[in-house]
Amino acid sequence: MRQPSFVERHLRVIFPLPAILFIALLMIFPIFYTLALSFTNWNLTSGMPMSFVGLRNFFRVFAEPRFHDAVWRTLSFTFLAVFFEAVLGTAIALILNRAFIGKGLAKLLLLLPLVATPVAVGIVFNLFYDPTIGLANWALSSLGLPQGLWVSDATSVLPSLVIVDVWQWTPMITLIVLAGLAGLSEEPFEAARVDGATPWQVLRHVTIPMVMPVILTAVILRLIDALKTFDIIFAMTGGGPGYASETLNIMGFKYSFEYFRMGQASVILIALFFFVLLCSLGIMKLRSSSEN
Amino acid sequence: MKKNVVHEILFYLVVIFISLMVLFPFLWMLSSSFKTQTDIIAWPPKLLFTPTLQNYEKVFGEQDFLKYFINSTVVGGLAVGLSLVLGLPAAYSISRFTQRRLALFILLARLMPGISFLMPWYIIFSRLDLMDTYVALVLSHMLIALPIVVWIMSAYFNSIPVELEESAMVDGATRQYAFWAIILPMSGPGIITSVTLSFIFSWNNFMFSQVLSMEKTKTLPIAVYNFVSYAEVDWGGVMAAAVAIMAPAIVLTMIFQKFVVKGLTMGAVKG
Amino acid sequence: MASVDIVNVKKSFDRAEILRGVSVAIEDGEFVVLVGPSGCGKSTLLRMIAGLESVTGGEIRIGGDVVNDLQPRDRDIAMVFQNYALYPHMTVADNMAFSLKLRGVARPEIDARVKRAAEILGLTGYLARKPRHLSGGQRQRVAMGRAIVRDPRVFLFDEPLSNLDAKLRVAMRSEIKDLHQRLKTTMIYVTHDQIEAMTMADRIVVMREGAVEQIGGPLELYDAPSNLFVAGFIGSPAMNMLKGRLETGARTGFSAENGIFVPLPANAAPDGLVGRPLVLGIRPEHLRIAHEPSNGFEVVARIVEPTGSETQVTATAKGAEIISLFRERQAIRQGDAFSLEPILGHLFDATSGDRLATISI
Repeated sequence: MRQPSFVERHLRVIFPLPAILFIALLMIFPIFYTLALSFTNWNLTSGMPMSFVGLRNFFRVFAEPRFHDAVWRTLSFTFLAVFFEAVLGTAIALILNRAFIGKGLAKLLLLLPLVATPVAVGIVFNLFYDPTIGLANWALSSLGLPQGLWVSDATSVLPSLVIVDVWQWTPMITLIVLAGLAGLSEEPFEAARVDGATPWQVLRHVTIPMVMPVILTAVILRLIDALKTFDIIFAMTGGGPGYASETLNIMGFKYSFEYFRMGQASVILIALFFFVLLCSLGIMKLRSSSEN
Repeated sequence: MKKNVVHEILFYLVVIFISLMVLFPFLWMLSSSFKTQTDIIAWPPKLLFTPTLQNYEKVFGEQDFLKYFINSTVVGGLAVGLSLVLGLPAAYSISRFTQRRLALFILLARLMPGISFLMPWYIIFSRLDLMDTYVALVLSHMLIALPIVVWIMSAYFNSIPVELEESAMVDGATRQYAFWAIILPMSGPGIITSVTLSFIFSWNNFMFSQVLSMEKTKTLPIAVYNFVSYAEVDWGGVMAAAVAIMAPAIVLTMIFQKFVVKGLTMGAVKG
Repeated sequence: MASVDIVNVKKSFDRAEILRGVSVAIEDGEFVVLVGPSGCGKSTLLRMIAGLESVTGGEIRIGGDVVNDLQPRDRDIAMVFQNYALYPHMTVADNMAFSLKLRGVARPEIDARVKRAAEILGLTGYLARKPRHLSGGQRQRVAMGRAIVRDPRVFLFDEPLSNLDAKLRVAMRSEIKDLHQRLKTTMIYVTHDQIEAMTMADRIVVMREGAVEQIGGPLELYDAPSNLFVAGFIGSPAMNMLKGRLETGARTGFSAENGIFVPLPANAAPDGLVGRPLVLGIRPEHLRIAHEPSNGFEVVARIVEPTGSETQVTATAKGAEIISLFRERQAIRQGDAFSLEPILGHLFDATSGDRLATISI
């Protein structure tokens, strides 16, 4: 009589083990490395030996106005972008949630921004925003409005970037909400109609409450990604003009790979990490509450 | 009746407006890529112009575009392939042995900002003399692909009744053989979804390649980005480069539309 | 072919006890049905015999050998699953050949065996098809074909008919029984449907809450249920139950708590049971219309359901519902009052539920 082999008895460990080791090695270890670096004064270019400086990096970075601005900018960029994406995305989904000619094509079009290379998207929008030859100013002037400087001006750069993010990611919310709407059963809608609800009341009291969990999950997923927005900002403005569009991610990148101040860069990354973690906890909480 | 017709016309106008909003950057990019520099800087912007191929000739001629294209393909292909090797058994294990904590652990790689491990990688890969190698790039891109594979495939395996393996085990197979001979061959749709999606995300990735690659292993997004920095004013060339980089992802999406939609939406919808 | 011995088998998941010491001795070539309400542990027991669940305590022997620690593939058993578990990417022929290939059987031998199984099951024309192009009944047959090509020592069936419609279920029922007669292999069959159990089994194991309530032939369970649970579970429509006591003296009979008095002939009431709290169980088909009202108890017809071959009458008596079933046609209509008398009844202990006596009149 054969005994079960070693592999068979320990399948639940052996199967996921390579993936676990990979992630531990390439993600968990580096994160702790970052954490450790934040207590040192290490500078990759100075050639000075690394020394332990305690919490000095934290005090330094936290006292810097540039850091405060970056935190504030990261949060306002994220909030503005995700707010418009959620509202527009849900609205479009509700409009498209019926049978019509060309629905398949419309859904394909919605997919395109999601898979477009963000760096290239950023560059295309740079041409669009160009103050002298861009379509944006031409559109404003043909409407009789004053022209703007868009990403070249410190006051308008952030809203201009928000527009790009909204263009690229609103369809994500739309597609998720559409999928959520498609998964709802017909009966509550029919019941509401039989009960004499107007289309508006059905929308308000039946459709939106039923699809709300899906919207919330989509919004949190977007929040996490929006906090980490890098490609379009880096490609379009590099954080400028000045520091006017520098978010935590961009600032961390510059401290790491332009100034090579690894210790301080680590502090910035930990701050970004913290915000992402908060949102992630939100998603897990939402998940467990929807399971109960 | 009349009110209905008006309603329908209004509806289609709204749909067309939405479609145009989505499409206009693509259309603008495409049309600009066929314009001469004179046509591009014309004011007001020209809608009618004589198309030219000179931008594409320049991009594919002067730049090492083919090399970057191959780099992107190799890095994406290897990262996705290796992620399947690591991810499929892990996803199976998560699905069949309900390892929720493991699922969260792997999901963490999707949630955490890439830069928080990029900086240590930079240091470690420099020490190991792995900068500007496929090894470094593929490893980093695997961290993009692996969570997508595991996330999509564990949900897919959940939809396959466990009786299929049990039946195979009663029929004489080991569990690992049942996974190989029964479960994997019927997981085509899930694998297509995860491969398409993770390849596109790897293809589009900018940050990892920007730091870890130099001339030898440079991928397309970096090439396009550098093209802008070097040739600030050559908008036609830049647009042609942008078209060239977006085209493969868009073609993949058109072919596998159904799968891509499923992959992008299921995380939120399944809850 | 082999016997299967289940000796004091126990199973717990975490702290929940699923099986609490089950013992069944199944003889070589026997068709045994495990039946019980959902959650009684019957499927778990079957899966333990298959090796798909580990054994917490006790012993399972197939052909005399203890198989507790053997992998499913080493037990030489075949199993038919409720959802059939056909491999969707393989043709019908490949589905049936899979186990033989794994065992390294030679190609010509595999083809011959698949062909024979297909003939037995009427699947010859479908061998090249994929499962998704088959009807429910055909899929069911493929699942059985996959089992019979193996020529295993024991067949296990886990509710194999519950996904079929009523008509097909009846047809497949006799087909499986026919198959058993032909192959003479030991079969263990799990179902929650007592009619399936009654019609197919050589012996039935009635289970509840992880324990065996009774083991016996179909008619044995029907005629002599060992307790209230088996009495209520076997038979359709279910047995009528009345709580009360036996009386002798001025009148002899069963006096129910709700006031119904069921007269019994003086010699029919067992002496030792008088005065104890009891339950009187009477099957609907064991009630007949009393032409002498004093021999029966009065009821009022509430629902009359004729099917042609028989008539089922649901009546009320002092708030209790009494169902009776007549082979002969009756002129009873809704609202009619009439008297019923039992021809056979069982007396159960009201606290333990055990059957104490059967009285026939």
